[in-house]
Amino acid sequence: MKISPATLFGVVAVGAFAIAGSFMGSYPIYLLSLAMINVISALGLNLLTGNSGQISLCHSSFMALGAYVSSLLTLVFGMPFWVAIPCAVLIAACLGTLLSLPTRRLRGIYLALATLGFLQLVQITLEEMADLTGGVRGLKVPQPTIFDGQPLNYYSIYLVVLAVCGLSILVTRNLLASRIGRELNAVRTSPHASQALGVSVDRVKLIAFALAAGYAGLAGGLLAVVVGFIDPNEFGVSAALKQITFIVVGGLGSVMGSVLGATVLSALPELLRPVKEYSDVIYALILLGFLIFVPRGLAAALERFALSPIRKRVWRRKSL
Amino acid sequence: MTITLAFQLAIAGVSVGSIYALVALAIVIPFKSSGVLNFAQGEVVTFGAYAALVLTQLALPYPVVVLGVVVLGGVGGIVAERLLIRPIVQAPEFTLVMATFAIGLLIKGLISLKFGDSAASLDSPFDPEPLIALGLRFNLTSLWILACTTFVTLSVIGFFKYTKMGKAMRAVSVNAEASRLMGIRVSSVYRWAWGISTAIGALSGLLVAPLIGINPEIGHLILRGLLAAVIGGFTSIAGAVFGGIAVGLIETFSGVLIGSTFKNLVPFLLLMLLLFFRPHGLFGTAEAKRV
Repeated sequence: MKISPATLFGVVAVGAFAIAGSFMGSYPIYLLSLAMINVISALGLNLLTGNSGQISLCHSSFMALGAYVSSLLTLVFGMPFWVAIPCAVLIAACLGTLLSLPTRRLRGIYLALATLGFLQLVQITLEEMADLTGGVRGLKVPQPTIFDGQPLNYYSIYLVVLAVCGLSILVTRNLLASRIGRELNAVRTSPHASQALGVSVDRVKLIAFALAAGYAGLAGGLLAVVVGFIDPNEFGVSAALKQITFIVVGGLGSVMGSVLGATVLSALPELLRPVKEYSDVIYALILLGFLIFVPRGLAAALERFALSPIRKRVWRRKSL
Repeated sequence: MTITLAFQLAIAGVSVGSIYALVALAIVIPFKSSGVLNFAQGEVVTFGAYAALVLTQLALPYPVVVLGVVVLGGVGGIVAERLLIRPIVQAPEFTLVMATFAIGLLIKGLISLKFGDSAASLDSPFDPEPLIALGLRFNLTSLWILACTTFVTLSVIGFFKYTKMGKAMRAVSVNAEASRLMGIRVSSVYRWAWGISTAIGALSGLLVAPLIGINPEIGHLILRGLLAAVIGGFTSIAGAVFGGIAVGLIETFSGVLIGSTFKNLVPFLLLMLLLFFRPHGLFGTAEAKRV
């Protein structure tokens, strides 16, 4: 089996993070876990928005679904988290498909509005069904346990999140290199041309929505386990905008972009701690700045100024 | 429900709805001319409310406050359009949507930086004692809001119909390229469309402040304004106003008929159903595109 340098790098990185984690306190590990969860959700959104070109303002709603469904499955039916989270992912993906059935006919701002409406529906429903979801006061998530009923400590949860995040990156990379990845990009570039070439645009949009919702559900389920507490406010418009900022800053349509954007922006609140009151303004300026001046994001900048010169140098040496 | 109660509710619905109508107008005007849906319009409303608060605290008379808010809103819109929207007006729709969201976030961030998250209140300059006529109570503030909305709507309709700039805007909304070839300065059309819309947005902030108080979250009104614009079809001025009033009425009546628990769901269900079945609204025209 031939292993590409990127895969090798990924495996080494996951191993390094796992080892580094064992030396860290609970707070850095918590932050790292949150960053990885953001990476997972950004990967999903980037497939939908970056690759297939569909605006979605309700990515955080699918995260909410994942978080609430998995927590309630654990609370009500006593399912262990490693069963509850996959169930939640499936349910989120199904709902994503259902939402896409009518919305896939909409374009641009109309799609933005429909997804914004869906976000509000989910949020209001979560707030009003207080008997089940705890409403605005939130829901305390039970500690995750494994076979023997012992609660997992934070380091083991971190390892789970790390493994899932690594796998998600790998799966997304392979997905984009496969037929469906090419179809997603084709639909963004020209829906009419792809239709003419025999790509079913409707089907591709459906798949894109289902995938994005699935990733978001996964991220939401993990978030509930890591944080131990969820409330509807975490999954509102501002959360949806934050996720879009991840992929805009990182780079639309690129796996590297999702990873970079989500990690850099997850670190940002910690860096901005001394000037906390300015954080909203800084966030908005970053988003605007990237939209206007760096529309292809950090990933493209990295490729241009770091990776491609290195590659060129290596290549030149070989040819000499 | 008695007839009197129904009428009383209708009055309340129309007066809330006329605020929504103004917000919807402020959304529709730049969309019509430049094709940009301004998601920051909610924060423009917040800006108008705070501007009114500051000007009132300077002890200026009410008419001056109204004028000041409108001028500040208009100038702010023109500046924002020049600095932030014009460089990316040719960009894909996604970029524009996100840029207006970012502008909204920026305005909101600056406002909460300056004024904090706590609520303030702005007294209405009118007598709180309602007028009683035909057994119905008419709140003077609501009547004033209604009067303002009527005035703004008629002026906007007149502007589009009779003035040179209004006609230019209509031409640009049909075909920007052809309008440019006919000697219309498209950039100045965009500038004026933004200026007018943000002036209207700021005015609606001033009007709504006495009813719901002032806090950085007033911007949520944009959701109602967007629904109104969708009902009206996004391209029709009269449609937007009708949509606003309709949203106000639906909201007031659904609170009584359905109960408070799920009444908040109604506008959003309506928004999605409309988008699924009549995305060009009740008054708009379907967009035809040559491939």
